[in-house]
This record gives sequence, structure tokens and C-alpha cells, in this order.
Amino acid sequence: MRRFAAACAVLALAACASHAPLRSQWPETVSATELADTPFFPQTRYQCGPAALATVLGASGLSVTPDELAPQVFLPGRRGSLQLELVAATRRQQRLAYVLRPEPGALFAEVASGHPVLVLQNLGVSWLPVWHYAVVIGADPVAETVVLRSGTDRRRVMSYRRFMDSWQRADRWAMVVTAPDRVPVSAQALDWLTAASAFEQLGQGPLAAMAYEAATRRWPELPLGWQLLGNIRYRAGDKAGARAAYRQAAALKPDAASYNNLAQVELELGCREAAAAALQRAVDLPAGPAVASALQETSAELAAAPPAAICQP
Amino acid sequence: MKQSKSTQFLLGILFAALAVVGMPLPAQAGIVGSEQLLQSERSTVQREQLQQWMARDDVRQQLQSLGVDAEQAAERIDALTDQELQQLALNMDAQPAGGDIIGVIGIVFVVLLILELVGVTNIFTAI
Repeated sequence: MRRFAAACAVLALAACASHAPLRSQWPETVSATELADTPFFPQTRYQCGPAALATVLGASGLSVTPDELAPQVFLPGRRGSLQLELVAATRRQQRLAYVLRPEPGALFAEVASGHPVLVLQNLGVSWLPVWHYAVVIGADPVAETVVLRSGTDRRRVMSYRRFMDSWQRADRWAMVVTAPDRVPVSAQALDWLTAASAFEQLGQGPLAAMAYEAATRRWPELPLGWQLLGNIRYRAGDKAGARAAYRQAAALKPDAASYNNLAQVELELGCREAAAAALQRAVDLPAGPAVASALQETSAELAAAPPAAICQP
Repeated sequence: MKQSKSTQFLLGILFAALAVVGMPLPAQAGIVGSEQLLQSERSTVQREQLQQWMARDDVRQQLQSLGVDAEQAAERIDALTDQELQQLALNMDAQPAGGDIIGVIGIVFVVLLILELVGVTNIFTAI
């Protein structure tokens, strides 16, 4: 009996603790939306990860089933799927998984722009978690409800408060799936470029190039996007394209790395004078150890380069 | 005995990796790479590569111990970036695995049911 009373006390405390931060406001900008065309895959046992992933991949135009995805994400010993593996499996489908800022504003902006959002929820409590993936497909600010594809429910309606509570307990983790050339509305430049660079690292260069190009369209004033685009073009053997991108980066912000890379590619295009000019700009600018050592190598190569090369403009 | 074998194995992988990864680099030695631009302040490359290969091996073992067959585990590891592998190697056990309420049984089920009835959670739609 005493034990039962103690359990009740714990439960009461837990209830207080989880109800306290519930005053979360409905973001003002949300308009009534429902992405009714979003596909639905009723989950089988434990398979909400593959089902939710198939749902958002389907919405991005790919037809893939949860059964096909399960071997890529399901962990039998954990009876579930890890967030990082959902991100990785998305890349295997030639799509980019963009993890959103942990804010309701970002989530509902994505839904409003047509992206169903894959969310992690904790349907239990912090000390007894029940992790679950679902896909937010709609919102109704008047009724204060959120609509999800969830488990075996094609259309699960949760009160905003309930949803926010479960999402909050999962650190508000959410991702959208997009083609690499479509930057999500809520995307932050550095997060997008980092997500895109995973393609580069994993040998999917053309997809990384698409994502970097998209970044330079979305944030044309950002030098880093042009630098990365230059690098991926360089790696693909497109030296003239790389030069154009490096020039753009250097024009936006004089930077030792941009000028160094520009000098290197000018040199390889046979343009010694342009290379020397870019290198001169680079050495006048502050450089970290990695950039400084690249600069040394570039100037050594410049010194050793044959003088009679023909410059390709 | 076993340890020295696995160390040899790791070193073998490391040298193979350095041979493979190291070869194409001189062609673009003068270029400041994307990784450096995104993530400056790197420690020595070789130590990182050793850590990387250990992380890779560690994650592979964890995946297999959690019931993923060897071939799929290798494919899944190949789909992860270095940073992601490091994160998984560091604390895969602590990371949430989104699954299902069906897996919840016994006393845990009872506690969750009570929480549901007092309005803390919202797992059992039918109730």
C-alpha cells in the first residue's frame, strides 16, 4: 500500500513536471493546411521508422515501400530505428534529409510549403520513453490541432498541446526530405551545406553539386556556397566552372582560401599571371594552418610551372 | 592473443585505408578542401583516420549485435558520414530508436496506462 502511495506521488509529480511547460504558443504564422495527397503506409510491428520514411520519400516523388527500407534502418535489437540511420537511408535514395531547427515555426512553415515533416515523438514520459516516428501533414490553428500520418492511423488528429508535449520530449527532432536541388523554406545556409557535403563525402558528387548550386541560388551572397561549388566542380574536372565559382566567392568576400583555390585552378588552366595575382591577394589575408600550407604548395607549384603555358580564358 | 589479432586487423585496415585515401590527394594538393572550409581546426589527419576506422568497426559490431546481418551492416555503415559514425560509436545505446508501443509490456505497460488515464500521455488512441 505504501508502495502504491509512493507510485502515485511519483506519478503526480511527473504530471506536474510535464504539464508545466505546456503553455507553448501556437505559432502566429500557421495557416490551415493539410497535405492530403501524402502517401500512407500503415506500419507493421515496430516499423514506424521505415513507414514514416517511406511516407516522406513518397511525398518527394519516390515510390519505395517500408519493407524495402526496413533492412536499411530497422534495428531488431532496439525494436526501432535511429534518427541518423533515417538520414543516411534518405541519402541512399538520392534525396537529402534536412533536419529542421527545433522550432514549431520551422515545422509548420515546411508543412505550409508542401513538405510533410517526419518527426520523432516521445509518447511516454522522459523517464519512461516510448519513441515513435510520425509524419506531420497538416495543422488547423482554429481547432488547435495537428494532423499526422501515424502508426496505423491514416489521419491522426492530435491537439496542439499534446503534440507539442510529445515532440518536446523528443528534443523537437524533425526532418524533411527533398530533392538535392530544392532547398526547404526554413533552411539555414550552413545546415543545408553541411547536409549537402555528406553526398560529397560519400562519393555522390553530382548530388552534392546540385545541392551546392541550389544553395548559391538561394543564398547568392554567401561566399561559402560558391567555395563549395567551386571545389565540387574542381573535383569533377570542371576547372573553368570551378574558376567561375571561386571568383564569385572571392568577389563576395576576400578570403585566403578562395584566392588560393582560384590561384590553383588558374595555374592548372595555364593562366600563370592570373594565378600569381590571386596568390598575391591570398598571402595578404589571414589564413589558418590548413590554408597556409595549401598556399605554400600553390606558390611552389606556381614557381615550378612552365612559363609558356597557354591560358584558357 | 585475441587483442593482438584485432589490433593487427585494425592496423591492416588502416594501412589499406591510407593507401586508398592517400593516393588521389596529391593531384589536388593545392586546393583548400570542402571539409576544411566547413570544419576548420582539424587535428592530425592520421590520428583522425585511425579513430575513424575504429568507429567504423565499433558501429559495425554494434549493428550486428543488434541483429543486423553482416552484409546489411556494411552497407549501412557505408551510408554514414565520418561525423555520423563518430556519433553512433560514442553513444548508440543512448540514442532514441523510434519504434512502437506494442513492444511495451508488463509493469511498464501498467505505468504507461496509468499515465494515460491521468492525462500525461496519449499513446493508446482507443482509450
